[in-house]
Amino acid sequence: MTVAGTIVSDDAAQRRGLIQRVFVGGIVDPLRRYPLGLYPTIMLGVFFFVPFLIMIDISFWHRVESRTYERAFELTHYARFFSPLFTAHLWVSIEFSALSSAFCLVVAVPFTFFLSRFRRKPQVVALVFVLCVLSLSEVIIAYSWSVLLSRVAGIPKLLFDIGLLDSPDSWFPGFWAVLCGLTYFNVPLAILVLYPQSTRLDRELTEAAQTLGASPLITFWTVVIPLLWKAILACFILLFVFTMGAFVTPLWLGEPENTMYAQLIANQMLSRNNAPFAAALGVFLVIVTLALVAITFWLGKERSAVAGGRR
Amino acid sequence: MIVAICKRIFIVAMFVILSAPLFIVAGVSLNAKKLMFFPPRGLSLKWYPEVFEKTVWLDALTTSLTIAIFGAALAVSIALPTSYFLWRYRVTYAKVLFGLGLVPFSLPPVITALGMLIFWSQWIGYAGRIENIVIAHGVFLVTLPMVMISLGLESIDRELLEAAETMGAGRRKVFSTIILPMVVPYMFAGYAFVFVVSMNEYIISFFLGQSATITLPVQILASLRSGYSPVTASVAVMFILLAVVVFSLVARFSDLPKLLGAWSPKE
Repeated sequence: MTVAGTIVSDDAAQRRGLIQRVFVGGIVDPLRRYPLGLYPTIMLGVFFFVPFLIMIDISFWHRVESRTYERAFELTHYARFFSPLFTAHLWVSIEFSALSSAFCLVVAVPFTFFLSRFRRKPQVVALVFVLCVLSLSEVIIAYSWSVLLSRVAGIPKLLFDIGLLDSPDSWFPGFWAVLCGLTYFNVPLAILVLYPQSTRLDRELTEAAQTLGASPLITFWTVVIPLLWKAILACFILLFVFTMGAFVTPLWLGEPENTMYAQLIANQMLSRNNAPFAAALGVFLVIVTLALVAITFWLGKERSAVAGGRR
Repeated sequence: MIVAICKRIFIVAMFVILSAPLFIVAGVSLNAKKLMFFPPRGLSLKWYPEVFEKTVWLDALTTSLTIAIFGAALAVSIALPTSYFLWRYRVTYAKVLFGLGLVPFSLPPVITALGMLIFWSQWIGYAGRIENIVIAHGVFLVTLPMVMISLGLESIDRELLEAAETMGAGRRKVFSTIILPMVVPYMFAGYAFVFVVSMNEYIISFFLGQSATITLPVQILASLRSGYSPVTASVAVMFILLAVVVFSLVARFSDLPKLLGAWSPKE
């Protein structure tokens, strides 16, 4: 009995010692050595890391009724995830994110390439313009697309007036309206993400291809795209993640069946007062996003290794 | 030749499409009657003063400006020590801290919104306050000044620091006479970026505001949903102009291509 008791207490003491060592060695000591890191650590720790842990914790809680929860460890909220309603909306989000990111890259890659070859003055003006578009509120973008696609004032009316359409139908709300809005939303971000790599492209390579008789189109396809493809892939992932968080665009331009993931979270948290389920949805989104971001980092490392080797 | 023309057309088309929302919003804001028409029917500028007359809009404007001013200051205040720490010491702790600063911005903003709302409402019991949004924006957008200040630090010649230290300058003196002057333009650029993004941010403000603190984007969407008035478009136009002014200033006073990561052959 006593032997077992000492073993247990030994065990506990050991565990306490380990925790203490991890805490002191991992947090207290570095802070004592580098007081410079104290303020950022506190701010990021308390206002990002702690809320994040609380979110994970709450996702396992038990919901008694609206607004009342009990500390527990249950997986019911994660299990709800497999209900067809939620998988359907998850699929809608993935579909929108993938399609809008792909469409966006089709225009953004050549545009960024041309932009990086502008002379300095026009280039700076163009960059200011792109930044302004980037900073446009999602609210303003969604609203102006709803005007652009509307029956009374937008493109459908224009086409009807010219005679290309038999009747001026409104093109929103719907799938294509959301896709237009999201693609537009992504374009400036894509330009800014691709811009550094585009400016690093060796001019001599494209010039050499053209002296050897390749047309500009073939040069673009066989020289520029292969050199940029990793940046393009990384950009695709970034846009995908960015679009998964879209909220106002599908809300304003879409029908109920176009509901996206962020709207589900908002709906559970704000309208249904189901914080544990909203937290579970959030945790899932974080896991997917971090996995995708990890892939991007890995691609970035490979890319810089290649660039370093060439220099 | 044909390819060159196609390229020209493509570039012009991109500029036209990207600026379409600006033209539409500007056009709608000029309608004479309280209807949304594009092109506008009957020109009038009367909706612009109304932004400053109605308390709903004025309150939302003050709220948004307050959040942007203090949120951007908070973001820069966290970013400066983090970037400096990593640049100066290159230890694991600094790398982890810098990595932690990159995470919020690489997650969809709805995560920050949800995490912070649960934190304030479930744990602290202090929801719907303007301070919550200031802190959330400061932490969520810390990545922008962090990356920019790092760019500025990287451009400092380390031999210059060594020279100063051999000549007897203390750590504090080196920081205030060499490092800080080199980094200040990047701090301002970072501040400007956070300021503009914070002004336009919707979902974090919407979650944390809890209908008690209302920012401009939240107010714009609310008034769009509850019926339409050209005032909404006027507010949007002023927003866009603000972004134009801020980014033009950044471009005027710092090297914008470099700030955005361009590589210049001169160096």
